[in-house]
Amino acid sequence: MTGPAAVAQPEPAHEILRLDNLEVHFPVKMPFVQRLLQRDETVVHAVDGVSFGIRAGQILGLVGESGCGKSTVGRACVRLVKPTGGRIFFDGQDITELGGGKLRALRRRIQIIFQDPHASLNPAMTIGKAIGHPLRIHSSEYGPQATGREEFGEWIRQKALGAMREVGLTPEEQLYYKYPGDLSGGQKQRAVMARALILEPNLLVVDEGVSMLDMSVRAKVLELMLDLKRRHGLTYLFITHDLATAKFICDKIAIMYLGRIVEIGPASEIYADPKHPYTKALLQVIPIPDPDRRAKKVLPRGEVPDAVHPPAGCRFHPRCPAVLASCGWEGRDFVDFLDEHLSNPKSGGEDESILGPIEDWKAKGLVASFEADTLRAGMAVERVKAVLVEAPVAMKQAVESVSLQNRTVTVRFRSPDKLLQTKVQGRVVECLLYQ
Amino acid sequence: MYRLIRGEEIALIFQDPMTRLSPLMRIQDHFLEEIHAHESVSSTEARRRAREALVSMGIHETRIRNYPHEFSGGMRQRIMIALALVLKPSLLIADEPTTSLDVIVEAQILEILQDLKEAYHMSLLLITHNLGIVAEVCDRVAVLYAGKLVELGSVRDIFHKPLHPYTQGLLSSVIHLETKELHSIEGSPPDLIAPPSGCRFHPRCSYAEPICTEKIPPLVEFEPGHFAACHFGDKFL
Repeated sequence: MTGPAAVAQPEPAHEILRLDNLEVHFPVKMPFVQRLLQRDETVVHAVDGVSFGIRAGQILGLVGESGCGKSTVGRACVRLVKPTGGRIFFDGQDITELGGGKLRALRRRIQIIFQDPHASLNPAMTIGKAIGHPLRIHSSEYGPQATGREEFGEWIRQKALGAMREVGLTPEEQLYYKYPGDLSGGQKQRAVMARALILEPNLLVVDEGVSMLDMSVRAKVLELMLDLKRRHGLTYLFITHDLATAKFICDKIAIMYLGRIVEIGPASEIYADPKHPYTKALLQVIPIPDPDRRAKKVLPRGEVPDAVHPPAGCRFHPRCPAVLASCGWEGRDFVDFLDEHLSNPKSGGEDESILGPIEDWKAKGLVASFEADTLRAGMAVERVKAVLVEAPVAMKQAVESVSLQNRTVTVRFRSPDKLLQTKVQGRVVECLLYQ
Repeated sequence: MYRLIRGEEIALIFQDPMTRLSPLMRIQDHFLEEIHAHESVSSTEARRRAREALVSMGIHETRIRNYPHEFSGGMRQRIMIALALVLKPSLLIADEPTTSLDVIVEAQILEILQDLKEAYHMSLLLITHNLGIVAEVCDRVAVLYAGKLVELGSVRDIFHKPLHPYTQGLLSSVIHLETKELHSIEGSPPDLIAPPSGCRFHPRCSYAEPICTEKIPPLVEFEPGHFAACHFGDKFL
């Protein structure tokens, strides 16, 4: 067993997969009347402009928290979901619009493995039959056409047994007739891998393929993946939330947050010196199994926001510990901050009667506004200014004006700087700190 | 009798905060039901306590009238903790409290649990399979294998000087950022209907001797406060 990045790449191989500004939006289902009344369509921005390439024989780790769109990217690569924008190239061929027979032929070359091996196997099909099944599905392209049914069946059986040996699912003759229920988690994941490999694909998308396995079984499956890469030059898109596992097997890492890639580059560079504050946060929260090295962490605030209305500017800005005034502050950030302020019994008490309830605040784009009592409008403006003094520095600096018109108190933020992808020390980062 | 202890003395938080709150009840009703089951206080007082518990977990008190589906996973777990704390128990049992949460939220919840331990002088029994969390949060560790306690000791004993081969295997199979090599424990956990004779770990143990298949190893104190159930524990001292 060699170290993670020690596997030498002979020379830059050709790119087997390229995503070009991939975009997948899912419509939000809502009642008919509401749909009529609402002019702009409500969509979940699952993937919002993702570009990367994977070279043949490389393992690309796509890392992020749940809901960041990483699985959707994986599914789009296999064309299980249809992209709403951008292009996908496989081996130089544009596969974005492919359908019917051509799509089926493509699936032979790109296979996907899911998180839960138990749910991926048909409980009523023996392991051997399940592993050989893809060959039957693609029988028109596989197998000796001229031979009879029985010979074809035996040929598939031999291929399946071979695939089982390949992934270490032994003794294969006995396991061939078992049902998924008879196998352990690790064995099931091996069976799923054998089924994916029997078509000899070029690219394997592994969507949290080891997350459900025990630590000790996980290590074995990871070794198997590395072994298959070495022996067959297999290329992987390895989707995970676990940066420690990704470090072990990936050549290249892409960190995803709310539908965007925030940092992408060689694994060694990113782990040695993460640049994006989100990458830093993800690396920092990985517990070190050593009680003598406990350390206080600087954690991002809150949780991943709703992908229906992603934050403006940099999507990580509301949680970012290193946020700047130009990162994309908007009205609702102020409302959230005010909510926090009012709910704190130490600070919020008296303000609640002047600026509350929080539900009366309206946020739209860069503006947050509030209808104050006629008598107390002047006081409300003063209180808003006072509250802002305690706000995070970056938010304070981003405020363009606090104004009063009739009874409406308005907090307006200045427009954010344009976020660009910047090359920093061997990787690409999407963060204003490096622009 | 149990009813007097449950909740008031020992509280439990579960793995999956998504399914543990009743979807048909407002958050405040969860609190009221619990408080009224244990204490005869007015609803006003109960509501005041509920609000206090929520605010201490960083959730705005106006949200007490919301339903569980209106909260995110991390918030629901914080509500679960608030529900457990409202009766001020002396022991909190947390059964895989962060397993279904995202990594950053997991770190946030662990921080809350640590702060509670210090602020309320509350004891915490943390049930987990994640050794990284154990190293970060716990003072003492008990390692279970196939229904038996195999090792018990301070967190330093367990991580720096594991005596039981199972603990050793478990520690070496943790994948963390400094992992250079992958290790795993051969075999799989035994069938508990017919557990192996003697030491239950012997079929997977690389140090197994004939005695391991015959005699159940007792839990022995090898060092002050450091127990292990292995015939050859002193080999690793």
